[in-house]
This record gives sequence, C-alpha cells and structure tokens, in this order.
Amino acid sequence: MDALANNFQVLFQGLALGSIYALVALGFVLIIRATNVVNFAQGDFAMLGAYLMVAFMVSAGLPYWLSFLLALVGMGLFGLVFNYGVYYPLRHRGFLPVIISTLGASIFLQNTVLAIFGAQPKRLDNVVAGGIQIGSVFLDSQYLVILAVTMVMVAFQYFFFEHTMLGKKLQATSQDKDMARLLGIPVALMIAITFVYSSALGGLAGVLVGPVLFVSIGMGSIIALKAFAATIIGGFGDVKGAIVGGLFIGVIESFAAFYISVPYKDAYAFLMLFLVLVFRPQGFFGERVSEKA
Amino acid sequence: MRVSLLCALSAGAMASLFVFSAAADSVRIGLISEITGPNAEAGSYTVNGARLAVDAVNKKGGILGKQIELVIEDNQSTNPGTVLAFSKLGGNTDIPAIIGPIRSTQVQAASPTIQKAGIPVMIGGTDPSLTHVNNPWVFRCRPNDTFSSRVIADFGVTKLKLKKWAIVHSTDAFGSGGQKALVDALKTLGVEPVLIQGYTNNSQDFTPVVLAIKKSGADVIGTYMTNSQDLGIFAKQLRQLGVAATWVGSPSIVTDTAMKLAGESLHGTYGIADFNPDANAEAKIFATAYRAKYNLEPDVYSSWAYDALNVIAAAMNAAKSTKPDDVRKAILGLKNWKGVEGNYTFDENGDGLRGYNIVKNEGGKVKFVEHINVDK
Repeated sequence: MDALANNFQVLFQGLALGSIYALVALGFVLIIRATNVVNFAQGDFAMLGAYLMVAFMVSAGLPYWLSFLLALVGMGLFGLVFNYGVYYPLRHRGFLPVIISTLGASIFLQNTVLAIFGAQPKRLDNVVAGGIQIGSVFLDSQYLVILAVTMVMVAFQYFFFEHTMLGKKLQATSQDKDMARLLGIPVALMIAITFVYSSALGGLAGVLVGPVLFVSIGMGSIIALKAFAATIIGGFGDVKGAIVGGLFIGVIESFAAFYISVPYKDAYAFLMLFLVLVFRPQGFFGERVSEKA
Repeated sequence: MRVSLLCALSAGAMASLFVFSAAADSVRIGLISEITGPNAEAGSYTVNGARLAVDAVNKKGGILGKQIELVIEDNQSTNPGTVLAFSKLGGNTDIPAIIGPIRSTQVQAASPTIQKAGIPVMIGGTDPSLTHVNNPWVFRCRPNDTFSSRVIADFGVTKLKLKKWAIVHSTDAFGSGGQKALVDALKTLGVEPVLIQGYTNNSQDFTPVVLAIKKSGADVIGTYMTNSQDLGIFAKQLRQLGVAATWVGSPSIVTDTAMKLAGESLHGTYGIADFNPDANAEAKIFATAYRAKYNLEPDVYSSWAYDALNVIAAAMNAAKSTKPDDVRKAILGLKNWKGVEGNYTFDENGDGLRGYNIVKNEGGKVKFVEHINVDK
C-alpha cells in the first residue's frame, strides 16, 4: 500500500514537471516549424514571464488574475519585439546567424533581469493555497493547476490550428512558405504571430512554475534544456511529440530518481535522448530525416 | 568602459585623499574590501563594521594613544583586484596591519602578496586551507568550515539526543565536503547515519529525497545545501509529505533569502551561524551601536570586520608596538579574547574561532539558542 502511494506521488510530480517541459517544448516546436530555427531564448521566455508576474503581483501589488493577464499580454508584446529585433533582420541569412542571435538574446535577457531584480531568487505564492491529501499522498495545488492548464492549452492548441482560419494559415506558412506566399498568406505576419504566441506560452510556463521552483535568473535555462530534449525525443518540430516528449521526460526522470539515484536525475533525460536518437532517430512522431531534407 | 574609467579615477582620488590627510599622530589600518563589483553590497557592510570599531577604539584612546585611521582599498570584487590592493597597501610602510577580504578565493589569490608584505592580515574566508599554507601573516576572524559539521553533530546528538540521522547534501564541493565532515563528526559521537542522500544543485523536485527520508525513519536531518532555491523546494516538499523530523542545517538555512522563499516550512528548524546579535554581551553592544549608526540590521559581513579591527587594536596595545613581528606575537598571545563572534584564541595557524552559534527559526525570526565551541 505504501509502495503504491509512493509510486503515485512520484508519478504525480513527474507529470506536473513534465507538463512544464511540454509547454516550453511546444514554444520551441512552433518556432521551429515557422522559421526552421531553434530559439535558444525559449527558456528565458519562461523566466521573463515569471519575473513579470513578480513585478505585477509582488512589487505593484496587483491581484493575481490581473497580474496573470498583464504578464501574458506583456510576454505577447515581448514576442513581437523579439520577432522584429532578433529574428526578422536576419531572416534571409540562414540557420546559424539566427541561432546565434537567439543565444545573444538569451544572455541579454538574463543580464537585464539580473540588473533590474538582483541575484536573489523571488517567491511567488500558489494560485490556490494548500493541496489535496489522499492518505500519505499529497497533491500540491500548484501542480494540479499546472496539469489542468496544460490540458486546456493542448485542447486549445488543437482547436486553434485545426479549426480556425488563422491556425490553418499558420500551418500553411510552416509547411511551405513560398506556396503560402503564392496563396496570399502574409508570411512575415504569420511568423510574427508565431513569436507572439510562443512567447506567451513560455511566459505561461514560467508563471505556472514560479511558485514551485521559485523565480530565479537561471530557472529558464534548466527547463529549456529538458524541453529541448523533449522536442527531439517527440520528433523534431512535431506538436504532439513535444507534449508527449515533455511528459515522458518528466515521468522517466522522476521514477529513475526515486528508484535508481537522485544525483544522476538530470542524466536520465539525456540518456533517454541518446537512446531515442540511436533507435528511433526521427523521434516518436517525427518524419524521417531523409524525407525532410 | 567609461564607467570603469570613472571608477578607477574616483578610487584613485579617494586613495590620494587618504594619503594627504595622513597625520603623523595616527595609526593607519588598511581595509581591502568589495567597494565596487557584484559584491559591493556586502563590501559596504564590511566597511560599516570596521568604521564602527574604529570609532569605538578611538573613543577609548585609540592604539598606543594615537587615533586609528582606516585606509580603504577597493578590490572590485575580483581576485586580481585583491592582489593589486594588497600590493598597494602592503608596500606602504606606514600601514602596520590590514583587514583583508571575506571571500576565500580572493584570500587564496593574494596569499603570496600577503607573505611578501610581511604584515598581519585579518581574513574572513572560511576555506580551512587558507591558514594552512605556511603563511605566518594570515589570521582568521571567523570559524573555518571544518568546525561547522562538528557543531551540527554535537548539537543534534548531545543536546537534542537524536541518533537517527539523515544527511542531505548538494553534490558540489561545498556540499560533499560538508557531508564527509558531518559523517566523521557523527562517527566520533558513535552515530552512523541511516541515510546519506546527495542531489545536484538546481534540482526541481525533491520528492525522491523526501520519500527516502520517510522510509529511513530518521528523526533528525542534517543538511549541507548550497542554493536557497533548492533549500526552499526541499523544505516545502518535506513538510507537505508529512516528515516532521528535526532539521539542523548549515548556515544557508538561516539566510534571509532561504527564509523568505521557504516561509513557514522552515519554521522550527535549527541552523548554525557564526554571527547572531544576541549571542553574547559584545554582540549585543555591537548590534545596538550598528543599528543606531546605520539604521541597518547587522550581519556577518559587518560583525567579522568589527572583530578584526578590535583584535588588531587589542594586539597592538598589548604589544605596545606596531611592528609586524610584535603584533603577530601579540595576536597569537590573545587568550579567550571576547569578540562579537565568540571568544578568540588564535592557534599557531592563525585560526581564532572554533565555534558557532546555534539558532532556531521561530516563526520566521532567527532566535539565538546557544554557542557551541568544539576546541577540545
């Protein structure tokens, strides 16, 4: 009975952290699909979102939902700035310059936040205090919120991309830019929208995970590393894959830490990445690399 | 570029000001600290502490009837800056003693320069090796790291009478060093830990660690945790999953940041601290004067510098001389000299303190419990 409870506890924690990886991985994937580059500042979107939440809620003293809304709108606007400042000027220069540019943006963001907020990590409170106690299992309220919001976001994302005109235009842009352009789709605008959405998504992950991991400069990099592994495991550039990959990594590392060894916890995600690359290089849902090229 | 140039210029201007104001009837004591750079905040507290001691000593007649003058040199929070500052002050023959930095790495970098200068230097770095490199001029005004584990073990086993220990530690140099020392200290008290659990810094989830503690049935947890985020997450999950064991932590458990992050999940825990404003009569006098002068809460950055300057003054007055060799002998001759951080008796390596204060987190406030010395 005790073992069952422990396993359930470990599964719960793994799924909740996996959801955060999935949200950040989703942001990665959308930008990969739209622009063919990896955005190395994706984790810092989460960090920035969490700090905006701290600024609105703790510093300015606004109520939770207003701060939440402002943080997401702020992140959306930031995505727009990011698009025109980091991606747009280099869009015809190929893969590498854009990646370097996002790396630079990441360093710039971390240091700007450091200069404004200082090095001490900040505290955010749970949306709802407490949690649910079932026997010896404790379900933290914030983890429950994370799971619920992730599910809603996955459903929203599906609806948005499959059943709205804007979503279909975005899909068309990511599949074939030239064709999309011929069909009269404003490609540059679609890419800008993708950045806005990815940035808000990253910010959402940060706001959600802030109360659990605390808000610190480095929080984004830690999440992004796992989320990036999730993107590859799920299938590079696959939306379903990002979600499944994120949850998969969260659960695997949680159980491996419990049953095998805690200090090597971070290694399991990358061991999985290694195994997937050896035995299924295209990832869970990815197309074969030869088809992509 | 312009900013650093400005800094250099103003630092230079400040230094020359001090030179011109030097009067023949004063004793000039050097202070090398972090005036600029990332640790400038801590550096400002160190200057506060030293200044407060200067005022106190001067009021009581100064050193050998002369007033003390503090010569402050910036090390820019860096190792090269520290070396530079030491060669500058050390080459100045009318400065008979220097208060050095609190960072171990900076002291380590400047050690050869200190040896060359050949004058007593008080340090605050706690890396044990700093006083074990055959440098006769380095004196430490804080307990070094080998004593923290002995105090944690002694308090838990002897005072709290708890024998089932779980040790949780970061796997970095500080954490694994602390873990080894704590295991050794427990062994000398006849206790074998029931669990030793490491974790890497920036772990997002401590559930496996907490479940392992639960399974081990430990009634006391000793920790060496480096980051306050880790400490906060662990504390929260520990209490959420219903572990009520007593917790005695290394100094990070009573830092302001950790206590803010973890909130009530740290209430009732014990920690060790080399400075506490209620630890002894000297600490109370210091804390009252510090609050009155600066309107700030005193901390370890200010307390150790206050002690360091007082030790120098006491030694010079006892030696009736400011000659380096005489002062060195007088410092080594201090027996149970009462300071803010405890009673100083310098051993032949230059370590002055061998104890810590045990403090308890009572409802978010740090309360002094007792001072434990382990120099037996």
